Amino acid sequence: MMRLLSLLAALLVSGQAAAEDVTVRVTTPAGEPVAHAVVSLPGALPASPADVVHEMAQEDLRFDPFVLVVPQGAEVVFPNRDRVRHHVYSFARDNAFELELYGREQERSVVFDAQGNVPIGCNIHDNMIAYIRVVDTPHAVVTNADGVAVLEGVAAGPVTVWHPYANAENNRLVLDAPADGSTLDVTLDVHGRR
Amino acid sequence: MIRSLLLAGLFSAGLSAAALAQSHPPHAQPGELEVDPYTVSDANAGADPIEDADVFVAFGGEAGIARVVDGLLERVREDERIEGIFRASDWPRLRRTLIEQFCYILGGPCTYTGRDMASVHRDHGITTREFNALVENLQDAMDAEGIPFALQNRLLARLAPMHRDVVTR
Ligand code: HEM
Repeated sequence: MMRLLSLLAALLVSGQAAAEDVTVRVTTPAGEPVAHAVVSLPGALPASPADVVHEMAQEDLRFDPFVLVVPQGAEVVFPNRDRVRHHVYSFARDNAFELELYGREQERSVVFDAQGNVPIGCNIHDNMIAYIRVVDTPHAVVTNADGVAVLEGVAAGPVTVWHPYANAENNRLVLDAPADGSTLDVTLDVHGRR
Repeated sequence: MIRSLLLAGLFSAGLSAAALAQSHPPHAQPGELEVDPYTVSDANAGADPIEDADVFVAFGGEAGIARVVDGLLERVREDERIEGIFRASDWPRLRRTLIEQFCYILGGPCTYTGRDMASVHRDHGITTREFNALVENLQDAMDAEGIPFALQNRLLARLAPMHRDVVTR
């Protein structure tokens, strides 16, 4: 029943979508929705970064969100909402950083200047893992729990679907954009999940 | 009739005890932050009490122990090697439970109502260096109270094995 409803909802959404909106639904070969996949289409970044706050929080000894996508040059704040300290770092070649965040420390941020994937971890809590994907396009959205991402107002171009655990070259697939108004269904094999 | 009255009495007594327990849970005192429930036990203190009654007296009883703990916490707050670890700590609770713990271990008439050493420190990622820094502060606090070296060592000997529960990195 719920399935039917969400299917109906998806149909309604795609039916109403303007020509330049693209809806992508990502599922595993078994038909399970794939959340945390980054769906992007090409586009030119504005000269100055948009006034958006990007956040990679730490709460209950987890990163939130698990996957964050930001445009090149974006500033990401790392609020620590736990009462224990975190030592957040990445070894990503062009975006390496390290932040020692004391309990409840909310203000620290990092600017990500280079395109690419930034796996992040915590030196104190080995189980804390998350990914920041830095892209050179303003058109990038992370799939929700239903595996769906809607990109509004995009120009034509190939659709890239990336997931940190995708069994694919460079963890991504590159596909043709769907016909106007239709939903692009993507099958992505992912190992492990969160 | 009498039986049902009795039952009703028991029931309401049970209810009010439950209500009391809710307004003053044993886990946290008024003025302290909430904590997840745990089993209260002296065993959580992590060491058996020293049986020689002279030690508790030499520390100045509960009042003397409270002064040592206050001295320790003051020093910790200013020690740049470790103060960051305590920035989001519940200081009233830390003070209360430390006093209870030291009083219990020093053979005083106290029970320890805090959590066990492993679960309370596990997520803090404490290093040996940081452990030693805290112990230094404790030694300084005991010096300031004029507690003889030999007696300081009686307490430290009980605390030292906690290293394995406190230090995780
Ligand atoms: C033998 C040494 C130690 C003893 C006996 C001890 C004792 C305690 C006690 C009794 C508590 C509170 C328990 C509760 O809330 O239920 C506590 C909490 C804590 N301790 Fe220790 N501790 C020791 C070493 C350390 C060290 C070396 C550090 C860091 C340098 C440290 C950092 C903390 C922190 C951050 C808390 C949590 C405070 C909070 O969450 O509010 N402790 N400790």
